[in-house]
Amino acid sequence: MKQNYLELKKLAKSFGKGDETFFAVDHIDLGVKEGDLVTLLGPSGCGKTTTLRMIAGFHTPTSGDVLIDGYSVNNIPPNKRPTAMVFQNYALFPHMTVFENIAYGLRIRKESPEDVRKKVSDIMNLIGLENLEDRQPRQLSGGQQQRVSLARAMVMEPKVLLFDEPLSNLDAKLRVSTRLEIRKLQQRVGITSVYVTHDQEEAMTLSDQVVVMNKGMIEQIGSPSEVYSHPANRFVAGFIGKANFLESVVVKVTDEQIIVSHQGKHIAAPRWDKQLKVNDKVVVVARPESIIPELPSEDLVEGIVADSVYFGSQMLYEVELPDGKVLQIEVADPQYHVQFERGHRVGLSFKDRSLHLLPSEEKKDAL
Amino acid sequence: MKKFKFSNTTRVNDLRKMIGEPFLLLAILVVLYLLIVFVIFPIFQVFKTSLSYEGALSLQNYFDVLSRSYYITPLINSMVLGVIVGTIGTIVGFMFAYAITRTPMKGKGVFRMIATFPMVSPPFVVALACILLFGRSGFFAGAIGNIYGLTGLVIVEVIAYSPTAFLALVGVLHAIDPALEEAAMDCGASRLKIFRTIIFPLATPGLVSAWLLVFIQSLADFGNPMILSGDFAVLSVQAYLQITGMFDLARGSTLAILLLIPTVVAFYLQKYLLSKKSYVTVTGKPTSATIKNLEWYIKAPVYAVCMFFAAVVLLFYGMVVWGSFQKLWGVDSTLTLRNYVQMWKMGKGYIVDSLVISVIVTPITGVLSMFIAYLTTRKQFPGRNFIEFSSMLTFAVPGTVVGIGYILAFNTPSILMPFTLTGTGFIIMILLVFRNLPVGIRNGVAAIQQIDPSIEEASIDLGADSSLTFRKITLPMITPAFFSGLANCFVRSMTAISAIIFVVSGKWNLITVAVLGFVDNSQYAQAAAMSLLLIAIVLIALGLIKLFTDRMGRGMNSSSILE
Ligand SMILES: Nc1ncnc2c1ncn2[C@@H]1O[C@H](COP(=O)(O)OP(=O)(O)O)[C@@H](O)[C@H]1O
Ligand SMILES: [Mg+2]
Repeated sequence: MKQNYLELKKLAKSFGKGDETFFAVDHIDLGVKEGDLVTLLGPSGCGKTTTLRMIAGFHTPTSGDVLIDGYSVNNIPPNKRPTAMVFQNYALFPHMTVFENIAYGLRIRKESPEDVRKKVSDIMNLIGLENLEDRQPRQLSGGQQQRVSLARAMVMEPKVLLFDEPLSNLDAKLRVSTRLEIRKLQQRVGITSVYVTHDQEEAMTLSDQVVVMNKGMIEQIGSPSEVYSHPANRFVAGFIGKANFLESVVVKVTDEQIIVSHQGKHIAAPRWDKQLKVNDKVVVVARPESIIPELPSEDLVEGIVADSVYFGSQMLYEVELPDGKVLQIEVADPQYHVQFERGHRVGLSFKDRSLHLLPSEEKKDAL
Repeated sequence: MKKFKFSNTTRVNDLRKMIGEPFLLLAILVVLYLLIVFVIFPIFQVFKTSLSYEGALSLQNYFDVLSRSYYITPLINSMVLGVIVGTIGTIVGFMFAYAITRTPMKGKGVFRMIATFPMVSPPFVVALACILLFGRSGFFAGAIGNIYGLTGLVIVEVIAYSPTAFLALVGVLHAIDPALEEAAMDCGASRLKIFRTIIFPLATPGLVSAWLLVFIQSLADFGNPMILSGDFAVLSVQAYLQITGMFDLARGSTLAILLLIPTVVAFYLQKYLLSKKSYVTVTGKPTSATIKNLEWYIKAPVYAVCMFFAAVVLLFYGMVVWGSFQKLWGVDSTLTLRNYVQMWKMGKGYIVDSLVISVIVTPITGVLSMFIAYLTTRKQFPGRNFIEFSSMLTFAVPGTVVGIGYILAFNTPSILMPFTLTGTGFIIMILLVFRNLPVGIRNGVAAIQQIDPSIEEASIDLGADSSLTFRKITLPMITPAFFSGLANCFVRSMTAISAIIFVVSGKWNLITVAVLGFVDNSQYAQAAAMSLLLIAIVLIALGLIKLFTDRMGRGMNSSSILE
């Protein structure tokens, strides 16, 4: 078991004075293992950047600690911290060449010219920037600028590498290929990284651990598959991927399964949550791909197709339940399945092993 | 904007950690002191003097002035002149700007240069040319009647100040996306219709603000009316005459305040208009202009005005050149260099003084304005707003008011300034520094705001502390603005007259004052020769600075020098 290399303890940052004080980061705890890449994922304004900037030292925490390699860095100014940041807009120095940009930190550290030359050219080869040494930043494409920014941070061999939405200024295609490269590089060099993004797909493909944030707090920490298949709450379920929520009541608990009732129809789900008892109110989280529309039958939840869109490899349905709720359904390989059209009555069958149960929020309120 | 806040808190934290904090604090205090003494105090003195009557606080001076037509006339005259010049100047400036940004006119570069040339020359040169052309022994003597008065002043000030409107409006028109015009054309609008329904409404705030700028310059103009006003008394000259001719400080101050009020109102109105962002900036990035064939009825008047104005500018300046080589203007037109020799003999001292003073003033202004620009954009501290306000104030205040203020404030020692400055070279230098400060600050602020704070953060993140970051990152990035500020300041120092004329002395005198002296003695040829020398010095200095900055690999075009 690896130790936590980067640790945030009850870290908080408030802005504003008096009545207007609010916590942009609300006492969060987080541990990152050496060599891992952790993404901070959440909607805009949830405090990701603020957290990252506290790690970098640009914000002084209101309370709490940042520990790197076991030591508190709270009192170390940003220029002395063993962190390096890749900025959203790259923040390249416009009056310096690519080489000078990358060498900047090493020179400030007063490394010998030979070392600087060697390290810079190594990192440029590693990142795929060969022969661009003498270019000015404005002569580079967006993707190249992004790489220079990454090289400039990585060449410092920081203990923790920080990314603040580094891909948001690239076009969609480049974004996908660059994030794969970042992931490969990061794993190869084995550098502990914190990566901020609001793009859940980016977070899923990049990270060892995803930290889902909302309103300054952490909603869930887990591997990409954990946060997707076992979201801790409705927010996480809704934010990561698409989710349908069905209010239900537990009717039976077995060793493996929990049977719930939704509008009198039974739905079976795996028994992840050991606490649930009969008569508990729960919410079934069903991903669009976990629902299969079939011909109506006695024991299936029923609905009417409100809309259907054919994509070739996929069929998207919107199915309206009797209570007016609309479910999103995705059927892969539609040729293989029965196809329905608008107005058709369908029965919905749930892939039991893909479902996830959450305690009902109503219940929480009642308590 | 969020980013901005970030960096500010960062820097405040930085500051706390920095050992250099006492130094910064000291620097801020020094700047505060300087602004209070050399900007606020003189203007305050003018107010105070205008409000004291026989030793008591009273409005008597104002009643006196406003009850006598002798004093009211200049007020009315100044306003009338300002309104006429503002209107004609804005129209001419607009035509020029339209031609440059919206038509396929040939030789735009040349037109642009001609249109902005009056800005690098001392203002009164145009008046001098006017005398050479239309004066009693002029080339076209009597062609436009008596030039000493409203007609002459209007002609001269339009030439001198429509470049201001032109530069302001080029920016405005440039920001109007040509795609809008194309869209309107797609909807079936004719050029004229587009002009009326698209361009004109979008440019209106810009037009009003250009008008106000020209109006302010006309009100504050001293050099031209000093030479040309004749019986048409204007405020700036009357205030000067009250003080230097009649030694009536109270009345001079009162007139100065009457001059100050409309100018400051116009200035803040103009600033307000600019701050209220019009839609122009909302339409996004201008696409590359596609100029379609224009109808003749658009081209004809625009081209005609441009050609005519350019011809007039060339004629006026050409006349100064021509005049400077004439043996005796209007009598003996043999070509000679005698005027230059005479001018040099009599004016050498003035030229040297002017150069020495400008060379000293320019770097001081440059550094101080950059420092203030940096403070006001990147630091949070109590007094920041005051620094911002007072450092820009001299922009709005007419030179005459400042000049009178300096006499009143520094004739005798005071708690704020324990030395008598009047009569020294210092007072000239100080006055020039604080008069030229706003331009430099504006340049600097624009340059600093263009630097994304994350660039400085990246440097800190890579291990540089904030002073190293300032030296290695911020400073190099604002260097072009710094040099264009220097160029600007040098031009303004060499060509200044309105405020300076109050503080020059036997010991320290300036080239512009010498030219006025020649004109006063009707030595027009010598005046012309000296003006040309002055223009030559300014152009050489501009060229050198441009050469220098180009060498540094960062292009700076001449228009940025002029702006
Ligand atoms: N310097 C600041 N002053 C005041 N509020 C701030 C400051 N920085 C961030 N905030 C606020 O804190 C919250 C979190 O911001 P941020 O961390 O930038 O969010 P994210 O990066 O997740 O989009 C937002 O509501 C933002 O407006
Ligand atoms: Mg952010």
